[in-house]
Amino acid sequence: MTVLAALNGYYDRLADRGEVPPFGYSTERIAHIIVLSPDGEPVEILPWQSLSGKKAEPRPAAVPQSFKRPGTTPRSFFLWDNGKFVLGLGLDKATRQRVAHPANHAAFQELHRRLLAGTEDAGLVALVRFLNAWSTDRFDACGFTDAMLDQNFMFMLDGDRSDAGQLRFLHDRPAARRIWERAVAEGAGDEGICLVTGARQPIARLHPAIKGVMDAQSSGASIVSFNNDAFTSYGKEQGLNAPVSEAAAFGYGAALNALLARGSGNRLVIGDATTVFWADASGGEASARKAEVLFHDLLSPPPAEDADEAQAIRNALLPVSQGRPVREIAPELDERTRFYVLGLSPNIARLSVRFWLEDSFAAIAERVGRHWEDLRIDPAPWRTAPAVWMLLRETAPLGKTENIAPQLAGEVMRAILTGGRYPRSLLAAVITRMRAGDPVNGVKAAICRACLNRDSRLGTKKTEEIPVSLNRDEANPAYRLGRLFAVLEGAQRAALGDVNASIRDRYFGAASATPASVFPMLLRNSNHHLAVLRKGDKPRLGGWFEGEIGQILGGLDSGFPRSLRIEDQGRFAIGYYHQRYSGKAAASTDRPDATEQAVSED
Amino acid sequence: MAYGVKLHVWGDRACFTRPEMKVERVSYDVMTPSAARGILEAVHWKPAIRWVIDAIEVLKPIRFQSIRRNEVGSRVPAVAVRKAMKAGEVQDLRMVAEENRQQRAATLLVDVAYVIHAHFELTERAGPGDSEAKHLSMFNRRAAGGQCFQQPCLGVREFPADFALLEDGAAPVSELPPDQRDRDLGWMLLDIDHTNDMTSLFFWAALRDGVMAVPPLNSVEVRS
Repeated sequence: MTVLAALNGYYDRLADRGEVPPFGYSTERIAHIIVLSPDGEPVEILPWQSLSGKKAEPRPAAVPQSFKRPGTTPRSFFLWDNGKFVLGLGLDKATRQRVAHPANHAAFQELHRRLLAGTEDAGLVALVRFLNAWSTDRFDACGFTDAMLDQNFMFMLDGDRSDAGQLRFLHDRPAARRIWERAVAEGAGDEGICLVTGARQPIARLHPAIKGVMDAQSSGASIVSFNNDAFTSYGKEQGLNAPVSEAAAFGYGAALNALLARGSGNRLVIGDATTVFWADASGGEASARKAEVLFHDLLSPPPAEDADEAQAIRNALLPVSQGRPVREIAPELDERTRFYVLGLSPNIARLSVRFWLEDSFAAIAERVGRHWEDLRIDPAPWRTAPAVWMLLRETAPLGKTENIAPQLAGEVMRAILTGGRYPRSLLAAVITRMRAGDPVNGVKAAICRACLNRDSRLGTKKTEEIPVSLNRDEANPAYRLGRLFAVLEGAQRAALGDVNASIRDRYFGAASATPASVFPMLLRNSNHHLAVLRKGDKPRLGGWFEGEIGQILGGLDSGFPRSLRIEDQGRFAIGYYHQRYSGKAAASTDRPDATEQAVSED
Repeated sequence: MAYGVKLHVWGDRACFTRPEMKVERVSYDVMTPSAARGILEAVHWKPAIRWVIDAIEVLKPIRFQSIRRNEVGSRVPAVAVRKAMKAGEVQDLRMVAEENRQQRAATLLVDVAYVIHAHFELTERAGPGDSEAKHLSMFNRRAAGGQCFQQPCLGVREFPADFALLEDGAAPVSELPPDQRDRDLGWMLLDIDHTNDMTSLFFWAALRDGVMAVPPLNSVEVRS
């Protein structure tokens, strides 16, 4: 299924649940309601925004559809808009002074005069009277304040209630609905074949704005957009370059906006790719919801406060990592549930599809399990399961998400979800961070192990699988050299205590890239450290270090290699991590760092 | 088919751009019939013949990759070119790429291989000396020798295609795994109808046992 067709299917599922506005309406965040008397006088200004929390947040409401407003000609929305259009006043951000916007207000007036001409509905007549009598001088007298400027308003007739007893806005009145539906039908474009449905329908000229993709334009970006000459073909303009019907465009726009809404539970931000995921209801609604929740937890396990909670989460996710059938993971899951994952990346006013995957949920869960299996390293650097953001953070300088390489997040997600090889740049980025001086923690070692294991399993050259925990008999020279480096560092720390620059700070990069030039010197210096230990109060520790060095060097057949390839540098890092943090070595040095700060992505 | 040909085509990368995601390119999963026609026309074409694609066979697993490229956002206007032609000088005819920078991402196919099954028909511009056998032997000779008018490409010019003619009976091994052999691919672009105001023609594409059957242009399955 294509992206747009699958989103349309999801729109139908949402419409069945009543969670999306119907065709011609969209969900917008409104701050205030202007309550009008039948004469058109503004009686009061009710807040629609939610007042809980420190800042008042505008709340969503279903209003006549918003559209993109490019260019300089002001175009107004119907029965709602922001203060510039409704009242003709805005707030200059720099000077905090009121600024008049006569053109915008004139557009608002003109639209409503045209559409509401001849109406007899009490509420709409009140609005017409309000517009006739309004001028910006009446701003303070009618009860508006400066804090309300630059926010969205909608209208209500005083005392108007729906059958259920709730506030009924002007655009919900039946007469207003009829007028709006007629206006939408008249504005329809030429007919053509829609490439989503295959039926002959009016073609959309501009596609809906998708809001909620991290780092995109705040007024919304489009997946389907032809906003420059170079992008059009055969002399066609805008939406005619890719004929999609108005209904299909509205459907996919509403579905995607619902998926991207804050707190929807269907989105994850991974690096620069905002990922949305949903299940279809072919296995039942409960199965679909459970699959969505489980997918979110698989990619980003919930933070655990203490060891018991961590254990509980691990137990819940354990069947996935062992590749169990879906029924064992959760009883509500159905085999037939199809799952869709879409990764979107912003490019100012456009969105690019980084990856698109549709498969059965069982297959996806199995691939995530295989990914965890490839990453497994002992001692485990995570309390529950490896989250994708944790892996990507290790590749970024200073550990900041905005420093993650642009395409890397999308390619890593694609590798995880399709079971393919990890991008080469992932291993290179991790090695670069280690050589730049970032601490070699378990996550970096796990990433190296995962990349190398998958390369050997899926590539042309088969090499031995890298062990999960310390393997003292492992013959690979790069692994042994990593272990040797850890032992030498341990000897230095035991002999000299904490120094300003240990050999790890100074020599890790050089030792992993060109062992032959660094290790002889390190071994020479280690003799001094061992002598200090022997003559001091820890002779047995000194003896143990010597034994380890001897065991490692004994297994190195051909001396120190002149240089190590990048894969071998990865093995070096894994050997270092294993030796330093596992078993007896850990008793004499320090605990492995289990860093897992909870990062909220939504 | 009496005058059918089979051409084995392969390449490192391919991008059969979807019309709806044309700016930030996303490729179709499988070669489009119009791209296949383009490859055949690059090998051999005369106004006397018109290539008709019958089927496209997918030989390798469908894999995607994402890249980002720096491109430009505007076209050199035709008016400026005409002015330069009239004036006879080109100093003012320029487009500076740095001023028009647009960065566009593309999600493309990696490591593709297809077998194109096609035949050709004679058009009304066929002269008395044109016969189907003559053009067929011309095509076979050129394809076997690797001759082409321009390098065939897999969707866009920057991804060249290697080609080899398949004689009767010869069939390359399909590396498509069993779970990817039967898929529904949704509505796919069949071709552009150049005679009818450049409208797009769509058909419902599906892979059956690794082969995508392509309906003829004027068949009832084609929506326009």
